[in-house]
Amino acid sequence: MRTQRLGLLFIVASTLSALGSSVFTASPHFYRDDPIAREPESQDASGAAPSEIGQIYEMAYNLIAQPRYKPSGLRAQNLNTVDEVPDSSWFTNRIGARRLTIEEVVRGPIVGAPPDPSHWVIFREKTSGAHPGVTARDGKGETWFLEFDPPYYPEAATGAVVMATKIFWALGYNQVESFLTSFDPKNVQFDPEATLRRPNGKRTPFTDDDLNAILERVARRPDGTYRVVAGRLLPGKVLGNFRYEGTRPDDPNDLVPHEHRRELRALRVFGAWTNLTDLKSANTIDTLEQENGRTVVKHWLQDVGSTFGMNNDLYEWDLSWEHFYQTDTTMKRLASFGFALSPWQTVNYTEAPAIGKFEGQRFDPRTWRPQTPTTAYMELRDDDAFWAARRVGAFSDEMIRAIVHTGEFSDAAAEKALADILIQRRDKILKTYLPAVNPIVSPRLDASGRLTFDSAAVIAGVAETPPTYRASWFEFDNATGNTRALSTTSSKTTTIEAPSGLPTVAGRFVAVDIAADSTEHQAWRRPARAYFRRDGNDWTLVGLERIPEDRPSQSATR
Amino acid sequence: MRAVGLFGALITLTFIAEASTMAQAQTSEPDTREAAVERAQSEKAKTLHPYVPSRAERLITQVENTLVNGTTRWHPYFENSYSGGGFALGAGYLQRVSPYNFVDARGSYSVAGYKLAEAEFVAPRLFHRRGELLVTGGWRDATQVGFYGFGSDTVVSDRANYAFEQPYGGARMTFWPTRRLLMLRGGIDVARWSLKDPMGRPPSVQTFYTPATLPGLGAGTTYRHTEATVGVDTRLSAGYARRGGFYGITGHDYTDTASRFGFRQVDYEAIQHIPILRESWVISLRGLASTTWHKDGQQIPFFALPSLGGGSNLRGFSSWRFRDQNSLLLQAEWRIMVNRFFDTAVFYDAGKVAAQRSDLDVKGMRNDYGFGARFHSPFATVFRVDVAHGREGTRLVFATSPVF
Repeated sequence: MRTQRLGLLFIVASTLSALGSSVFTASPHFYRDDPIAREPESQDASGAAPSEIGQIYEMAYNLIAQPRYKPSGLRAQNLNTVDEVPDSSWFTNRIGARRLTIEEVVRGPIVGAPPDPSHWVIFREKTSGAHPGVTARDGKGETWFLEFDPPYYPEAATGAVVMATKIFWALGYNQVESFLTSFDPKNVQFDPEATLRRPNGKRTPFTDDDLNAILERVARRPDGTYRVVAGRLLPGKVLGNFRYEGTRPDDPNDLVPHEHRRELRALRVFGAWTNLTDLKSANTIDTLEQENGRTVVKHWLQDVGSTFGMNNDLYEWDLSWEHFYQTDTTMKRLASFGFALSPWQTVNYTEAPAIGKFEGQRFDPRTWRPQTPTTAYMELRDDDAFWAARRVGAFSDEMIRAIVHTGEFSDAAAEKALADILIQRRDKILKTYLPAVNPIVSPRLDASGRLTFDSAAVIAGVAETPPTYRASWFEFDNATGNTRALSTTSSKTTTIEAPSGLPTVAGRFVAVDIAADSTEHQAWRRPARAYFRRDGNDWTLVGLERIPEDRPSQSATR
Repeated sequence: MRAVGLFGALITLTFIAEASTMAQAQTSEPDTREAAVERAQSEKAKTLHPYVPSRAERLITQVENTLVNGTTRWHPYFENSYSGGGFALGAGYLQRVSPYNFVDARGSYSVAGYKLAEAEFVAPRLFHRRGELLVTGGWRDATQVGFYGFGSDTVVSDRANYAFEQPYGGARMTFWPTRRLLMLRGGIDVARWSLKDPMGRPPSVQTFYTPATLPGLGAGTTYRHTEATVGVDTRLSAGYARRGGFYGITGHDYTDTASRFGFRQVDYEAIQHIPILRESWVISLRGLASTTWHKDGQQIPFFALPSLGGGSNLRGFSSWRFRDQNSLLLQAEWRIMVNRFFDTAVFYDAGKVAAQRSDLDVKGMRNDYGFGARFHSPFATVFRVDVAHGREGTRLVFATSPVF
């Protein structure tokens, strides 16, 4: 995988070198449709074939090869010209891009009716997820993946799935419709064709004892029924998992290496917030779907149930603090006979049946660790993290409490504690990532030549207003990329007057480097560049570069 | 050059694809971002192919499929035929005979020339997953087993060797009435002990002993052995545990078909793992006492006496170092979790053998201490290396099982 990706970069670099600048002079920096809102998917992908990644291979690769991986420092490559991620078969702009109501977030990915639990017909085991389950048809004959709670967390695992699907849907990912429902063993049948894979590799009929073997390991209600979360069968043909690096060689529309897709890099931030520790490819899925009369590959985060500490067994504390294997902590404990303590050994957790090992006091988004690191996880830059943090910050306290309420926890105190932890972790993410880069957002240049913008870090209350903002103005040649300096202006507010002499002809461009004189945040001195195009009497924002390619970001890791 | 690029890489791909026709490329430049991306997609559509895994991915996936699908047949086998045989290497062939039951035929050969050939039938899910049945039959050859005399005061230079061949067969059923905690086990087996001239540097036991001074010497003995265990097991797995314990009593009856060497034995075992600091440390304790009674007019042969010494009990002493009619073993380990797959341990072992049960106290115990490293999965110890030091020197232990 790594070889293929490096090969592609080499080809790109070599070709650019061979072609010189003539290629770029032949194409404009900004096209007339910039910034685009949706990533085009023009080709028919019906030839894409199922492909799975072996879990042992992925784990070995991520634990052994990945620690030696040096992040490229490249800017995410699926961005539009204003530093945003356009909609695609991977991602749909929702929270942070538009106003979402609490009702919308609470509804999340749900578009259809809930399951009818009056009886279940089991026809297969459940093939994914950390907790026991079955695949079954409900009273209406619809197929669902049912997952139970472990006995030591009688509401937490099922609640986690429901809450997490709503959060990740709001963040923009394709999510499975999931419902809390019930499973009464008295109203269960086995499909005559129901089978279970046995250790000898063969499938034989599903039996009562097979079901009992599952039910013995899960939380049972006093009335003999079981609380389950039901995930609706995805539409379309299943193609297996997507990978966190490279592209699908059988999907013509898949052009950006996955490690350079911002929404996949950003899972490091979203994962830290929700504690999505099981980030492996096996929890993703690609499907073939019809869209606008064309067959396209759609990409899903299929299983986000390893959130809120629910991926931990009862006696498993190190998840989210360390990868499954880390050389540094291994050597530390080996040399010190375990006396060099890691945070997970002493951190306090709220003890409640609805809450796994999830806390906010000692949470640090930069030191949060999933079970195994993916390449996209390694490639996260500060501008990616900034983008992600703004979305996390768009979840209001009220919204978070409403989402947690959908977990239908019987313990109101636990529900409150869970929401409090999420709010605390959200705030830490904002405090960590918003000030880490120049936080200028939403630059506007009005017809009279007044530049206005916002500071995401100041608005979020995680940084003080800097004493001065400076704007360096350039005339920008869209054909050649050349700039001609005009002047520099400054202001103590987020409104700065433009210098006289800005172009007035439609189709001309100006570039503005906006920086802040902040002693507290050195990163703010590095300007973010905004590009405006003259359209009639107005200026239209067409470009925003927070950390341009020629000024590589520090990796957003410590 | 400052890349302002929306989808810069994609456009670049377009240029790459058309590098050979630069002139045309410049005249047919797309005039929208969408068109530029679509052109790149169109170019990729000409070169589509299925995903091709790397050689490493193919290999590891093949191994995974074999393991997950349960179709493993040939497997390595490192168990020795008898304690003290040194490093053993062998192979096994596992054949599934039903969805869960299997037969495993295996053999090994050790550096000391110990040989093993056996077959085992395992039915792991009887009585609605409450019972497990093992039926085993085989043959072993132990070529140089040490005998140092009786009691704890023997010296290394007293070592003599004996050897034996043994065909054996038996069955053992383990039953968990409540599926956890309470464990009942019963078994019966038949084994024929045929002593023979030993290999190795130490002299044969026949050099120092006679059948009159060493019961069992020179005699072929066939035992019908029955055993019964009752225990309470709170561990997640006997193969690897960081908490919980096991408390059990096992009674044995060894009936000599010739009524010369029949005896009874009772083993008392207690294991407790005490987790500290979220299992990053574990204090693991074990006590094991074995006591024997000879049957009327019969004797207990030297080769069947309780013993201490070897890689799973008194690790600083050689296998079978101390023998007598009763034994007491106390072990303590401070286990340190280094990572999810690897533990280290500092340990201390103490034990003694005695002719009288009343002598099974902590006075005069032989002891050792050492350091160990263990690779493990969540439920099994895959590989264990212990370095143990006792008064007779330092010994290195390699094992594919936990010490306890």
